Amino acid sequence: MSEYIVEMRRITKRFPGIVANDDVSIGIRRGEVYALLGENGAGKSTLMSMLFGMYEPDAGEILIDGEKVVFHSSNDAAARNIGMVHQHFKLVDNYTIAENIVLGIEPMTRKFGIFPCVDIKKANEEIAELSKRYGLEVNPLDRIEDVPVSVRQRVEILKMLYRKAEIMIFDEPTAVLTPQEIDFLLGIIDGLRRDGKTIILITHKMEEIKRIADRCAILRHGRLIDVRNVADTSIQEMANMMVGRQVNMSQAKDEPVFRDEVLKVEHMTVKNEHHFDVVSDVSFSVRGGEIFAIAGVSGNGQTEIADAIAGLIKIAEGRIVLSGREITALPVRERAEAGISYIPEDRQGTGVVMDFTLRDNLALREYYKEPFSGKGILHFEAFEKYADELISKYDIRSAEESKTIMRSMSGGNQQKAIVGREIEEHAKLIIFVQPTRGLDIGAIENIHRHILAERERGAAILLISLELDEIMALADTIGVIYSGQLLKIAPASSLTSHDVGRYMMGVKEA
Amino acid sequence: MKTKRHILSSRLDGKYASVWVSVLAVVLTLITSGIILLLMGKNPLTAFYSFLQGCGLAPKANYGGGSGMLSDLSDFLNYLAPMLLASLAFIVGFKAGLFNIGIAGQMLLSGFAATVIVGYNRSLPAGLAKPLVAVIGIAVGGAAGALVGFLKYRFNIHEVVSTIMINYIISYLTGFFINNHFVDMLTRTSRICSPESRLTLTGVQIAGVNCKVPFGIVIALIMAFAVQFIFERTSFGFELKAVGRNIKCAKYIGIGVGKSLVLSMTFSGVLAGLAGVTYYLGYTNTIIPKTLVGMGYDSISVALLGNASPVGSIFAAFIVSIFQQGANYMSSIAGVAKEIASLITGILLLYASCGTYMKMKAHSVILRDASREEQRKEEET
Repeated sequence: MSEYIVEMRRITKRFPGIVANDDVSIGIRRGEVYALLGENGAGKSTLMSMLFGMYEPDAGEILIDGEKVVFHSSNDAAARNIGMVHQHFKLVDNYTIAENIVLGIEPMTRKFGIFPCVDIKKANEEIAELSKRYGLEVNPLDRIEDVPVSVRQRVEILKMLYRKAEIMIFDEPTAVLTPQEIDFLLGIIDGLRRDGKTIILITHKMEEIKRIADRCAILRHGRLIDVRNVADTSIQEMANMMVGRQVNMSQAKDEPVFRDEVLKVEHMTVKNEHHFDVVSDVSFSVRGGEIFAIAGVSGNGQTEIADAIAGLIKIAEGRIVLSGREITALPVRERAEAGISYIPEDRQGTGVVMDFTLRDNLALREYYKEPFSGKGILHFEAFEKYADELISKYDIRSAEESKTIMRSMSGGNQQKAIVGREIEEHAKLIIFVQPTRGLDIGAIENIHRHILAERERGAAILLISLELDEIMALADTIGVIYSGQLLKIAPASSLTSHDVGRYMMGVKEA
Repeated sequence: MKTKRHILSSRLDGKYASVWVSVLAVVLTLITSGIILLLMGKNPLTAFYSFLQGCGLAPKANYGGGSGMLSDLSDFLNYLAPMLLASLAFIVGFKAGLFNIGIAGQMLLSGFAATVIVGYNRSLPAGLAKPLVAVIGIAVGGAAGALVGFLKYRFNIHEVVSTIMINYIISYLTGFFINNHFVDMLTRTSRICSPESRLTLTGVQIAGVNCKVPFGIVIALIMAFAVQFIFERTSFGFELKAVGRNIKCAKYIGIGVGKSLVLSMTFSGVLAGLAGVTYYLGYTNTIIPKTLVGMGYDSISVALLGNASPVGSIFAAFIVSIFQQGANYMSSIAGVAKEIASLITGILLLYASCGTYMKMKAHSVILRDASREEQRKEEET
């Protein structure tokens, strides 16, 4: 028997314009937790998609148990006992957990000895037992739409177990979880390892690798940089290898200097189209020079708070006051001119016009003012000049500079363009929603530096993020939102990330 | 190694991609319709040439008394004017993300209003009647467009649905009034309007032949450049484009989206109204009751073929008008039913709307060739 259960030899995969994997060779031992570390676009997911049969490599070979295999689809991979939990779960919302798990390989029975039927009773029993054995704690009869994200993830794990997977691939499994849920998941993974399963963990979070993985392969720009024993490698070393240079793990942050109150939100309630409260009776205030961060699990009303302050949605009750002036009834543009900048959550869907050039996108806040236009006629010289200025100041990289179509730019540079455009307004209040989601370390550093610089300048900053690490690193004050309510507002220094995690799950007193 | 495929792809991926896509669409249409003509046992070259002859773009073998190539050309321009205006109407809506299918109805309504108010008023002198016809076209078309924009903004009724419905309402309502009050018992169409009100002068002698002088073509060309200017150079056009390309972003940066929707539909309606009066009080001088002109729909293929660019649509309107206007002569020479013109326009629309696909395909071919080239170089070293 071969030393490795999975071996990928000299794998190369090209996509139009890029080499996603360049001569990558890895070997994974039976029963270990093997981590793949790398930034977005480093080629981790592509490599695993080939192991799971979703792509075929252009060059190189894959061996399972020392035997060469060619996968044409994920069914071929499943036949060799390989399973994968994707970043975006693949579940049918209005089916029960058990139905989702057996879908495709349903246990059959014959009613009256003739009519073939799905034996859902047997499925329920099997799944309940499997869930108990691995400590997964799911109820097979619940519908997917009624259970939280962490449970859905466990359903995906059960799906693999039900299919007798021996090799389990997890793609960024902790991205959507709270610290407590992460603990729970890592416990499950540990249990699976003790049971003899082989686990491959795709991630860009070093802490998790440190906690659970045995070995770690570092990928950068499609190339394999190194494979290390996790026990002998520090987090700093991993980060440096991942990025390819010395990384500053945490930005130096000066003591806050709070100034006058800039934003005051009083008893704000926002209803959705079904007249259901998505934000209920929320009150808080943000001072100049303060970073007020709202932590919470996705979908608890945080984006609605941002939209309501920016004027994109109407509020049902309450008041919004900006530097002593009530802005509750003002339209979007007047609020922006009163001193609100907004970096929205959906950068491509809301923050930019993808078919416009970089130049035009950078001018979106200014195009109607002097010197960008006069008497309704646009002055493109001013557009050009402003774009060139912002491109160099915010290090926005693109193929054709200001003439580049937004769509063809990388996500990180699109975000830098939005952040640059909004910061240049020198607003009193800047709202950042998920400012670094999906960006690589370089771009994250860049954006965090700008956020801290604006705090230094004396702007009030409302930071809404799902990344608890980001909140803990930047916030002066933390508000935790759960189900539309701010459960806790406290100075960041008085809270640990575990405290915040507990509030995020709706526990009233930590 | 530069293959033909690569050269074609680099054209479709380059700076003038949109122009090349349109050229390719026309070429593919000629090939496809040529095959259809061959299958019908006709000579496609004869047929295509006779389309040109019918439009005064190529000499015919013989002409009737008092007419010549110039007469045919003036007829062609007379048809081109409303066609271009109608496609501009579509473009204005399209740029703001609105699909105005109601151009035919808006044309009919404004043509009807101008006919009844000015065309049947025999006392108005030409100097007053002609501008008044244009003003009525603008006002009625604009109002019809504004209604659609308002319905969309206020009640969230999709413009495709409302314009289709309004097309029927206009068609039957004007048909009712024409049949009851304004019908010519002989032709069963509306009574002809006064020569003073008509936007096309007829029977003008130029170079010894009978010609028409369509004022509409002047209006249409001015409008084409005006629309181009508005979208390329003004902040109003910039906002409409932002609304059309990403309505969420437009809201986010504080553009009054509702106002933009209503204004762009009004503007679209104004151009459709102008198309209506140049058609019904220019190209023809009568209205067939309960009939929407095909031009209202052909204008969509013109706009798409012109890549939704006002200046591009001048050329596109030229090409589509050749098929539509030359169909009668072609039919008599080549012996093919003149409905083939609509078939060809349809094929053209099909290829033109594949433009984005063609560009994407070309882009991926270019990228793949580049990465192969890279690979080859790597292997050499």
